[in-house]
Amino acid sequence: MKSFFRMSYPYILWIALFIVAPMFMILLYAFTRSSSGAITFKFTLENFSRFLSDPTFLKVLWTSLRIAFITTVCCILIGYPAALFIANLPEKRQTLMTLLLTLPMWINMLLKTYAWRGILMNFEMESEIKVFIGMVYDFLPYMIIQIHTAIAKLDRELLTAAYDLGANKWKSFLKVTLPLSVPGIISGITLVFLPAVSSFVIPKLLGGGNYVLIGNLIETYFLVAGDWNFGSAISLVMALIIIVSMYLTKKLDTSTEEG
Amino acid sequence: MKKMILLAVTLMLALMPLAGMAEGFDPEEFRGETLNVYNWGEYVDMSVIREFEKIYGVRVNYKTFESNEYLWLQMSSEDAWDVIVPSDYMIERLIAAGKLQPLDKKIITNLDELAEGVRNLPYDPDNTYSVPYFWQTVGIVYDTTKISEEEMEAQGWDAFQNAAYAGHTYMYDSSRDAFMIAEKALGYSMNTTDEAEINAAYEWLRNMHASLKPSYVTDEVIDSMAEGLKWMALVYSGDAAYILSENEDMAYCAPSQGTNIAVDAMVIPANAKNPKLANVFIKYMLDYDASLADSEEVGYASANAQVLAELSGPGGDYEGNAAYVPRAGYEKDEMYVDLPANWQAKMPDLWAKVMAE
Repeated sequence: MKSFFRMSYPYILWIALFIVAPMFMILLYAFTRSSSGAITFKFTLENFSRFLSDPTFLKVLWTSLRIAFITTVCCILIGYPAALFIANLPEKRQTLMTLLLTLPMWINMLLKTYAWRGILMNFEMESEIKVFIGMVYDFLPYMIIQIHTAIAKLDRELLTAAYDLGANKWKSFLKVTLPLSVPGIISGITLVFLPAVSSFVIPKLLGGGNYVLIGNLIETYFLVAGDWNFGSAISLVMALIIIVSMYLTKKLDTSTEEG
Repeated sequence: MKKMILLAVTLMLALMPLAGMAEGFDPEEFRGETLNVYNWGEYVDMSVIREFEKIYGVRVNYKTFESNEYLWLQMSSEDAWDVIVPSDYMIERLIAAGKLQPLDKKIITNLDELAEGVRNLPYDPDNTYSVPYFWQTVGIVYDTTKISEEEMEAQGWDAFQNAAYAGHTYMYDSSRDAFMIAEKALGYSMNTTDEAEINAAYEWLRNMHASLKPSYVTDEVIDSMAEGLKWMALVYSGDAAYILSENEDMAYCAPSQGTNIAVDAMVIPANAKNPKLANVFIKYMLDYDASLADSEEVGYASANAQVLAELSGPGGDYEGNAAYVPRAGYEKDEMYVDLPANWQAKMPDLWAKVMAE
């Protein structure tokens, strides 16, 4: 056991260097203020109060959350029937369908988004709709695969039992398939909502420059304004939101498993 | 064709020792060395770089950056570049911070080839540290089928306050340029540090955002305007030259309220590993052949007087293109001065708020 533990040293070192250390730096920057280049290590909440007291920043945060939320809901609404359809196909066809589904993921996201830009340029529509088309397109496979896995794992005997007891197709879906596939939906949400909150490339490219999202703000304060303290504070707020939503989905997951 | 090029290269190689002797370096002395060059994206004809490698038997490690501010952040890291190409105000900041080294005028003997508009520039009047590469103004590209020339020339920057163009406007996402047009429209200097004036400019930009709902873009504006997707856009003149050559409905306006003249110039960082070869490279880039190829490829105005005249003159690639040669000598035009540190941070902050509102 002990010798195996040693084998994880490289991984622990990796995490310490490239994940823990940068996180610590962000934490340090977020709670300090630098004046004219020199960092003075004086604890301050100024960066956070500046962010939270400014309606413009809160609006940006709200827009980011709203876009991520709508994207996730669309992914569930489109993804669930698709997953159900695939799960009811013969085994061999299922493998093929899953492969087809993951095929677009082999292509670079930026390329796909530029392609969408070219296609959508020819249509007169709200730029917000264009953003959602791009976002849902990009994140949909993650949702379908998660739900499909959950449904495919489902014990078919349960459905037969439901039919035996007189439930029709619709009722057996509502009482058996849907509740048992909730864990799939939840891991789908984790895989879609969290990256969608911090995504800014797709809204930037497809939204025709009408969206400032939280990712854009962080970029601005780090690279243009050179205000790393405030940029770190925004990143930290962002990280907090992600941690809280992960905690909530996890909680939802365990409560459905128990119930 | 290939043979001709080969012949030209061989001739150059043969004549090089003669030329080199007089110029304070031996062209053979650099063989096998590496030169690290850091330039803006899409800002060079790569065959010019390959040619330089061939002539001196060196390897050029060519990388690109996107903004002066990013370059500044990179300069504080350990990476040592031999030649970088920042803009005017950033060169001023780099000189003040002692991050540049003086050029070797024994090697760079062709400074008299510089165009009139890029001589004796305020940030480095005697070219002690820098040699201009490309230069430009900022202006408005507009669709003449939607906005007439008289209408645009009469408004200038005030076009960005005209609600009639709502939904049909691109605004370049750059805080310094955004504040520049607001300050010029209000009759201030683009280098003002007066709090009241900057606040007035901020209100001007907020009004632009509220009444025009512009789309905030960066380089995608070039293709979008070439395709005629919107009526007008804030564009750098070098990009405008390309747009005008692609779409004949488009015109370029350098507003009468005055605009920014920007120069991107080659400099050698103080910690360069190969300063001598860097000086040779800078001379090579300013020479007629390299300047011509670069300007033809990129569309920005050359710093080489002869190239500038030829490309805009009869039979040149940019003959009759109003955007190619930047306006020089207009009294209301200015160059950027490096702002004090507090405004360097404050302007992007205000600009982010304008866009997010």
